[in-house]
Amino acid sequence: MVKITYIEDNGERHTVDAPLGLSMMKAAVNQGIEAIVAECGGNCACGTCRVYIPEEWRDRLQPPEESESEMIQYSGDEDPGVRLSCQIPVTEELDGIEVRMPKSQY
Amino acid sequence: MTKYEKADVFNDAEVTADPYPFFEYLREMGPVTRDPLRDDVVHVTGYDEGNSIFKDDENFSAVDCTTGPFLPYAFDRSRDMDEQIADCRKQFPFADSIINQDLPAHNRSKSILNGIITPARLKANEEFMHTLANEIIDEFIDDGRFDVVSQYGQPFAQLVIADLLGVPKEDHNEVRGLIGAPDQMPGTLGGQFDFANNPLMKMGMHFVQYITDRRANPRDDVLTRLAHQTVDDGSLPDPLEVVAVATFLFGAGQDTTVQLFTGMMRYLSEYPDLEDRLRADRSRIPDFIEEVLRMQGTTKSTFRLCRRPITVGGVDIAPGTHVMLHLAGMNRDPRKFENPGKFDMDRSNLRTHVTFGRGIHACAGGPLARAEGRVSLERMFDRFRNIRIDEEKHGSPGQWEFDYLMNYSLRGVLEMQVLFDRID
Ligand code: HEM
Ligand code: FES
Repeated sequence: MVKITYIEDNGERHTVDAPLGLSMMKAAVNQGIEAIVAECGGNCACGTCRVYIPEEWRDRLQPPEESESEMIQYSGDEDPGVRLSCQIPVTEELDGIEVRMPKSQY
Repeated sequence: MTKYEKADVFNDAEVTADPYPFFEYLREMGPVTRDPLRDDVVHVTGYDEGNSIFKDDENFSAVDCTTGPFLPYAFDRSRDMDEQIADCRKQFPFADSIINQDLPAHNRSKSILNGIITPARLKANEEFMHTLANEIIDEFIDDGRFDVVSQYGQPFAQLVIADLLGVPKEDHNEVRGLIGAPDQMPGTLGGQFDFANNPLMKMGMHFVQYITDRRANPRDDVLTRLAHQTVDDGSLPDPLEVVAVATFLFGAGQDTTVQLFTGMMRYLSEYPDLEDRLRADRSRIPDFIEEVLRMQGTTKSTFRLCRRPITVGGVDIAPGTHVMLHLAGMNRDPRKFENPGKFDMDRSNLRTHVTFGRGIHACAGGPLARAEGRVSLERMFDRFRNIRIDEEKHGSPGQWEFDYLMNYSLRGVLEMQVLFDRID
């Protein structure tokens, strides 16, 4: 288990114990965090599971695959820290990470 | 609403023609409630309850997604479900198509699909849509009228998928003819359907040829990419697996999208100032489409088979129960959508409807269908105005007379005559 904090646009924080191996999206959805809509259930096909990774954490994640980059571009979100949480596996290195979520996933 | 106490949603033509009062009857009894007649069916009209089921691949299987209780397989509800589901798939290959698969098999089909529907492909496809819309409109522009179903929707939706898959232009005319009769689809009232006679079979044969040819003689085209698309473990799938996914798209993207067009025409006719409003600000067309999707989504109901005992919305669901998820009911849940029966493209949570489902089976064609609606309306606005349903044929707004698809999963009309004034 690692601790991940998801921060809503209004500042509300949700800290969850995320099991290793799950995606960062699933870890949030399982705890009922509604700001992660995840319409497509993690297929990298909807762009509604976006999170913003703080600058100091960005290097510690695997860079996005082409399909993720394409989908992010398609979503039109231009935040420099934007990632699809369904494409980020929960690993030990992520312990303590705090990610923001968009006001709306649409 | 006592008239629904004995309603048979799988047979009743009246419920099929106007399902919304029936959904409200169910809702009155709770967001999750048992079928009035069958002990193996549970209904869901609650937005949150339905979504929790969509996201729960552990306790629910999609094997009955398109058929509900009319899978031609007798489940013994006292035995382990997983074993029986696997057995059912072996006996009935249609129960093993992408929409019916569970994890991990679904991942395999999904990787083939992800190779087909990429953002880059969608973009190229949208350019094709512009030309296609104009060509089809040319066919009836002199008449001042058209049948939205057979003259616009069907050829448009069919050829858009053909282009998406890279079917060569010279084969498009043949593809255009391959449209199934409504009673060959799963979900036909009474639970009988004739899948073997479905024209998709013929389409499948074409694709076997395309794929084997492109594997032997690669070219620089979409079919070649499709033929060489690897699955999640990095291996090249059997050509038949690719064919299964490719042909599935023709079925999934046909009647569904056709009814997006009829839905758009319905509301343009019911609210005559809407056309002017959308013409004045075309950037609102996507919002208009979202609200049409919420109010008139084609897949009114879909299914999941319960695998393990679970409680949803206070109702205990036993293994072997077919959960009927009424998307059209969830889309009118007053806890989620204020004044849900009202068409209102200004609502703030427009896009949160569940017309395309949720979770791993969520519609892969959502972006495509939305683009089809948008491009079509744009072209129609360029070519004609004063778009209205023919009242002589179909009665008056609010009291329309249509023949509906006699299907317990899909909602749609068989014909919709629309009149217009030509611009060019
Ligand atoms: C307005 C038009 C459409 C509607 C309302 C619609 C609706 C749906 C719904 C509700 C599902 C999920 C069913 C479930 O989970 O039980 C679905 C799945 C699917 N749809 Fe659509 N659809 C539309 C257009 C399309 C188009 C144009 C395509 C083809 C490009 C398409 C391809 C698919 C596929 C492949 C699936 C299965 C996905 C999976 O199981 O992973 N759909 N659709
Ligand atoms: S859940 Fe759809 S892209 Fe991540």
